[in-house]
Amino acid sequence: MNEKVKERLLSVLCAVISIGLFLGFWWWGTQRTQLGKLLPDPGTVFTAMCGYITGTVGKCSLLMHMLSSLRRVLIGFVIGSLAGVSLGLLMGRYALARAVFNPLYRVIRPIPPIAWIPISIIWLGLGEQAKIFLIILAAFANTTLNAMTGARDVDPELINAARMLGAKEGQIFRTIVIPAAVPAIFAGLQVGISSSWASVVAAEMIKAENGLGWIIQAGMDNNNMSQILAGIIMIGVGGFALTCIMRTIEGVMCRWNKSGR
Amino acid sequence: MGDKEKVSVNHLTKKFGDLLVLDDVSFEVMDGDLLCVVGPTGCGKTTFLNSLVNIYRITSGEILLDGRQVDTRKQNIAYIFQGDSTMPWLTVEENVQFGLNLKKVPSGEKKERVEKYLDIVGLTKYRKFYPKQLSASMLQRVSIARAFATEPELLLMDEPYGQLDIELRFKLEDELVRLWEMTKTTVIFITHNIEEAVYLGNKIMVLTNKPTTVKKTIINDLPRPRDIASPKFVELRNQVTDLIRWW
Amino acid sequence: MMKIINKKSKYTLISIASVVFVIAVWYVCINVLHLKAETVFPGPLTVVKTFVQKLYTKAPDGATLPVHLFSSLKVALLGYFLGVVFGVPVGIMMAWSKWVDRFVRPLFDLIRPVPGLAWIPMFILLFGIGIISKAAVIFLSTAVACIVNSYTGIRQTKEEHLWVGDVFGATNVQKLFRIAIPTALPMIFTGLRVAMGAAWMALVAAELLAASEGLGYMIQQGRYSSKPALVFVGMLMIGIVGLVLDTALHWLEKKVAKGMNAE
Repeated sequence: MNEKVKERLLSVLCAVISIGLFLGFWWWGTQRTQLGKLLPDPGTVFTAMCGYITGTVGKCSLLMHMLSSLRRVLIGFVIGSLAGVSLGLLMGRYALARAVFNPLYRVIRPIPPIAWIPISIIWLGLGEQAKIFLIILAAFANTTLNAMTGARDVDPELINAARMLGAKEGQIFRTIVIPAAVPAIFAGLQVGISSSWASVVAAEMIKAENGLGWIIQAGMDNNNMSQILAGIIMIGVGGFALTCIMRTIEGVMCRWNKSGR
Repeated sequence: MGDKEKVSVNHLTKKFGDLLVLDDVSFEVMDGDLLCVVGPTGCGKTTFLNSLVNIYRITSGEILLDGRQVDTRKQNIAYIFQGDSTMPWLTVEENVQFGLNLKKVPSGEKKERVEKYLDIVGLTKYRKFYPKQLSASMLQRVSIARAFATEPELLLMDEPYGQLDIELRFKLEDELVRLWEMTKTTVIFITHNIEEAVYLGNKIMVLTNKPTTVKKTIINDLPRPRDIASPKFVELRNQVTDLIRWW
Repeated sequence: MMKIINKKSKYTLISIASVVFVIAVWYVCINVLHLKAETVFPGPLTVVKTFVQKLYTKAPDGATLPVHLFSSLKVALLGYFLGVVFGVPVGIMMAWSKWVDRFVRPLFDLIRPVPGLAWIPMFILLFGIGIISKAAVIFLSTAVACIVNSYTGIRQTKEEHLWVGDVFGATNVQKLFRIAIPTALPMIFTGLRVAMGAAWMALVAAELLAASEGLGYMIQQGRYSSKPALVFVGMLMIGIVGLVLDTALHWLEKKVAKGMNAE
């Protein structure tokens, strides 16, 4: 027990030292070198960020920008992952579905969602729809493959056992294939949520009036490095929060699979 | 059998946290012994071997090899673990070479030894195979060849045949005896199978339950090859069984 | 046996039919029924024609398709290569040495949740609109993926294997190179492939935002000049190149990490 506490303290101490050193170098660099012309020191960024949170940047506060980004991600992600998981499960279980959809899916999958931005603007305009379309794509592309693999790799013994007990195909699909594929599905959802987050940032950078991507893009246009850094920090916080939420949900849903990770 | 001490264990004590596993154990292993260590399951046999090669740090006492602190970089030791410990990224042949590479054996000799020990364990045909293509018993033979190929002065074996089927087990037991007679290596062989201990060992050390101490060491000079059905064998086996049973 | 082959070829036929069907529907909707104008949704023939033309014409964005492709590849591979050279060793060191882990990990955990492309505006301000800012973004995206996967790979090293090394008298360096790194190799390759995807995506984003060359720039120009067929060609090109790079890495993995592939 004592050992563990010691290790904990030591790693916290090291974290403080290394982050302290990093901030120290940053500060020293901005004060003493040419970097100062381009980069504000950490203190300035921090004050600016507090200002953005309590006050406004663009039309609303930094937190509201984050919320609008999160809203886009959540809407797109729910639609995209539902579609992706359903299609993936079908393709994993039924060879016919795989034969029909897999070739089309294989054409779409390697195209990064970001490359869809120009065409989505042509099709859906500059509004909300184009951004959500993009996130749907990002979530869809990443979840389909995992759901398919998960459903295909179900232990055939389990399926045979269920069939022996008289289960119908529908029952097998619902009570065996889907639960058995859940860990793989969650692996896909994890990748999907980070990819969606990256996509929303990209979409907002290219065209938006609000959102974290807009913050950093506008910061670049106004040559305001503090605003960019504040935006990047919030993007990091948002990404971290989304991953944590996914992991918590996964922990609840796959309690039986915990040791497998 | 030599009369030089190969391994001396003095007052060895090992605790895991508050759990006392080995309690003040002292004994010697003579040069060229094939010492079988038997004892109840979970009595710390593995802990003892692991302590011997510094995988576990001992709590107090000392373990000497040829009168010196054990140092695996200077002394030539080999260990055959209980489970599979072959490297999945190496072929059978490369696995057997593993120890030789670490010990910087010259390449000519290396080749010779790999051939020799692959042949002894009967895996020459499988030299280019990867571990995932082999059965459990073949994997154990790879470990055995890897250990013998370094021609160690001390060979430790931790229930190496525990997971094998009986036929292969008999075969590998005879192989071990043959190799041991050929190389005169000192061997410490851990097992919970009493018959195996009596069949193999020229000495049998019986351990007590946890915290473990040495109950008794028996000299076993039955002539080889041993017949497990002979009255003398049965008598000795019963003697060891009684030692384990009577606390 | 015959049945299996029949079944297989049946499904292959269904696959082909499915692709043909989609292209036919596409053609009918656009070129026969004119449900959408070709300036919004180009028909399949237009896309093919545009692709062929783009191989040698420079309009409307000032360069031919091969030139754009080469320009993108140059930047992507430069940043990728540097990212791998940096990321893989750092990941390995973090997993192998407790002290490196204690000091580097907190910083790494700060950067990790930020998607690589979010650094684009900052790097453009710092380094200008050129190859450096793009390569820097790709470098970061690549390095993060490589660090995560190399780290996980090294951590999968089995205790028994390290014991084998110990007993044979291996030094710490020998244990790292002969046991831990071979164990981690499949995961390291996974990292290389994930990183390639991330790098390619970051590059497209950077080229959409600020560039005068490259596939991302080309599709952005296609949008401005209302030539969606050109956007289609660019997207397909981006997808195909990504797929080719991934396949190449997969092939390399099979060659290098032999005994470790699952059949």
